[in-house]
Amino acid sequence: MSRMPRSLGFERYSGAYLLGAFIIIFSTMSPKVFGTMATLHGVAAQKSVVAILALALVVPLVCGVYDLSVGANINFTTITVVTLISKHWSIPAAILVGVLAGAAVGVVNGFVVVKLKVNSFITTLGMAVVVSATQIIVTDNRQPLPPVNPAWKSITQTKVLGFQIVVLYMLIIAVILWWLLVHTPFGRYLYAIGGNPEAARLSGVPVDRYTWLSLIVSGTLCGIAGVFYGSIAGPSLTFGSGLLLPAFAAVFLGSTQVKPGRFNVWGTVLAIYVLATGVKGLQLLTDSQWLDQMFSGVTLIAAVAIAGARQRSGAESRRRKLSQDRSDSAVPAPLNGSRAVAAAVSVDVATTSAQ
Amino acid sequence: MTASSSTAELSGPMSMLRALEVRALSKTFAGGRALDEVELNLAAGEIRALLGGNGSGKSTLIKVLSGYHRPDPGCTILVGGEPLTLGEPSSSLRLGARFVHQDLGLVESSSVLDNLGVGAGFPTRFGTIRTRDARRQARAALAQVELDLDPEQLVDTLTPAQKTGVAVARALQPIGERAARLLVLDEPTARLPDQEMERLHALVRAVARGGIAVIYVTHRLDEVFDLADTASVLRDGVKVFEGPVAGLTRDDLLHQLFGSALETADAIAAVERTTEPLLDVQGLCSETLAHVSFDVHPGEIVGVAGITGSGREALCATLFGARPRDRGEVRMNGQLVVGGRPDLAIASGSAYVPAERKIDGAFLDLTARENITIGDLRSFWRAPALRRRTEDSAVRKWFDQLGIHPGDGTERSMATFSGGNQQKVVFGKWFQRGPTVFLLDEPTQGVDVGAKAELHRCLSDAAQAGAAVLMSSSDSEELTATCGRVIVLRNGSIVAELVGSDINPHLIARASLGIEEPENGESP
Repeated sequence: MSRMPRSLGFERYSGAYLLGAFIIIFSTMSPKVFGTMATLHGVAAQKSVVAILALALVVPLVCGVYDLSVGANINFTTITVVTLISKHWSIPAAILVGVLAGAAVGVVNGFVVVKLKVNSFITTLGMAVVVSATQIIVTDNRQPLPPVNPAWKSITQTKVLGFQIVVLYMLIIAVILWWLLVHTPFGRYLYAIGGNPEAARLSGVPVDRYTWLSLIVSGTLCGIAGVFYGSIAGPSLTFGSGLLLPAFAAVFLGSTQVKPGRFNVWGTVLAIYVLATGVKGLQLLTDSQWLDQMFSGVTLIAAVAIAGARQRSGAESRRRKLSQDRSDSAVPAPLNGSRAVAAAVSVDVATTSAQ
Repeated sequence: MTASSSTAELSGPMSMLRALEVRALSKTFAGGRALDEVELNLAAGEIRALLGGNGSGKSTLIKVLSGYHRPDPGCTILVGGEPLTLGEPSSSLRLGARFVHQDLGLVESSSVLDNLGVGAGFPTRFGTIRTRDARRQARAALAQVELDLDPEQLVDTLTPAQKTGVAVARALQPIGERAARLLVLDEPTARLPDQEMERLHALVRAVARGGIAVIYVTHRLDEVFDLADTASVLRDGVKVFEGPVAGLTRDDLLHQLFGSALETADAIAAVERTTEPLLDVQGLCSETLAHVSFDVHPGEIVGVAGITGSGREALCATLFGARPRDRGEVRMNGQLVVGGRPDLAIASGSAYVPAERKIDGAFLDLTARENITIGDLRSFWRAPALRRRTEDSAVRKWFDQLGIHPGDGTERSMATFSGGNQQKVVFGKWFQRGPTVFLLDEPTQGVDVGAKAELHRCLSDAAQAGAAVLMSSSDSEELTATCGRVIVLRNGSIVAELVGSDINPHLIARASLGIEEPENGESP
């Protein structure tokens, strides 16, 4: 009855509906180009790296700290790995060093945030520039050549069911993070710290340790994403900064999905692919170059606006709920339902208008 | 000021003027009726106590008056004889209805003058503030509440009652041509100690003498008798009582508030202290405490009294490690607990309920379930995952035992609960860990009388099961009702220890203020 709109999931899965709508619309408008398996595989693989980067961001954001250094970090680790391979390191050793480099950035971030008590926004903003500068020192601003070893490319480009294997890696990382955030004390502590650090401390949660850990996790995942990027696309000195905003946009849009009001893994993955599908479809139709950036920027702002609006309307419905309990819910259900629909629709409209 | 000059003419027919008339006020939310055909009439200069349990509709009523909520059709509200445009905050303000909320909304780091100016606007010339006029304006505003303050003083140096006074003065400043006619004070004394309460009452009386009708929301029944002319009681959105306070007894009011459901907790007999103490404090020093030593034995509920600034509000936090400690030894369950480490204090078997629930105690974005189990996740962890079923049943158990309302709300976010129920969830978090030392700061602040009795019952159960309870409270009636022993702090030191029949609000107040003679209960 009154719960119907919720079970259809308009509110929690508006992104999935939007994704469906995109696919149907673009497939009808350009069936030969868009509605093909090749497009599906292509979009899935292209967006895997930024998806991993977004997942890396989820962890510190859950804990209430920013990591703005992910863009610089992924760039740095890609360059590190590729440089080492071109210097005839073995691939596993190079990967290990690359991932450790990413983790090291997280360790430093954590140290500054936890021990020096610098605001995480400032810390990681500064670290991003420091890491970029380090990259220039290491490379002398000359782009290393892409490795010729076919094993290097096959790390990510082996096909599994038609998809490049990097898509599978991304899903595995997503599952692990989902498990970590939802099904372990670690995740509960992170959400608690993100919700109210002082209350967490007074509940016995080792706030500093977990905050630090969250930044190490994001740094490590940047390292892994950096390896994958190097394997898929080869080295570039500047790609990292371009990935920062799409990743943030996805995480914030994701926080309005699946578990609205919380940064969460599956909402983030969903958001990445909703955005990617929209951009891809429009690009095929119009051949515009500015779409990707425009989409990311607008989405980031719109997602935060939606989350804020939802919180405010949540405060209103909270009061309703309180009064509801008092009167033993002797209220006509349709009224209740229609309001919920109205709320869901308004959110939906807001989401759609974000394109 | 217009208000003060009109005071003289106010006797006679003017005082019969209705400051507020509310007819047939109902408010239905999607979930149900918050207010049902409520009528409310206030004469000018009347002080009306508005009473009701958590969720009885008090806040909804106030929010309708302030224009925040639009009531159901058919309702008429007149402020000073003029109809209010329903659901429009600006109309409410224009007609002279003014509101002071529990969190006063003062800028603590600014001067009284600047705080007053933020309300009514500064007098300016060419966009520059005319300081002399602003100061004169501020003095007049303060005079209306009979506060003698230097407008240049910073707000954070004021006493709590003075702060409330500044907030009231700010609210009462005329806006445009209209002077204030109705002042609504929402639980102004929830955080004030008894002595400060007296001062605030004096201030409210001064406002009423100026011909302004006052609606005074409170949970504290003693205030009603002290201050109010009349009282209205809301229960489940219905006005169940209205009448003059004279001739009422406390029990009458309790009965109106809660029906017959209420039992009062029995005062606890002093415990025989033969066992080892569970909490042992020796020479504790900190910024606000000086050489405090005492102990609490199993089964004891020990109260901590003292005025604001006496160290009372810092004691539990310092013991637990929420606040820093300079010197001294604290043992819980025989284990030495170092300062500033809540995690170690918890590991030694203690629980701490802070006074500022929203800031230090609760995770408002998380669900009630997550709030309750956050301190005890280890017992639900069986690799590879947290056991949701065991967790759910543990949470439901606390919902039942503590009477948390709504009973099926375990998956609701904490923010959707009313204050009293949030506090019960916070208690649930600690009960789930099974602590043996309870450190409680204002454990029932802002909680209605019914929920208060339930919390007290749970605490005395815990004490009877062998826990030690240390309860710091500014509400001396609460201490009287629950504690077997009360230690009184003044200037950071223990100045008295009361037991048995010595525990009563009168003696607690005297010891807190350091008064030798029973007379002159006013001066600090």
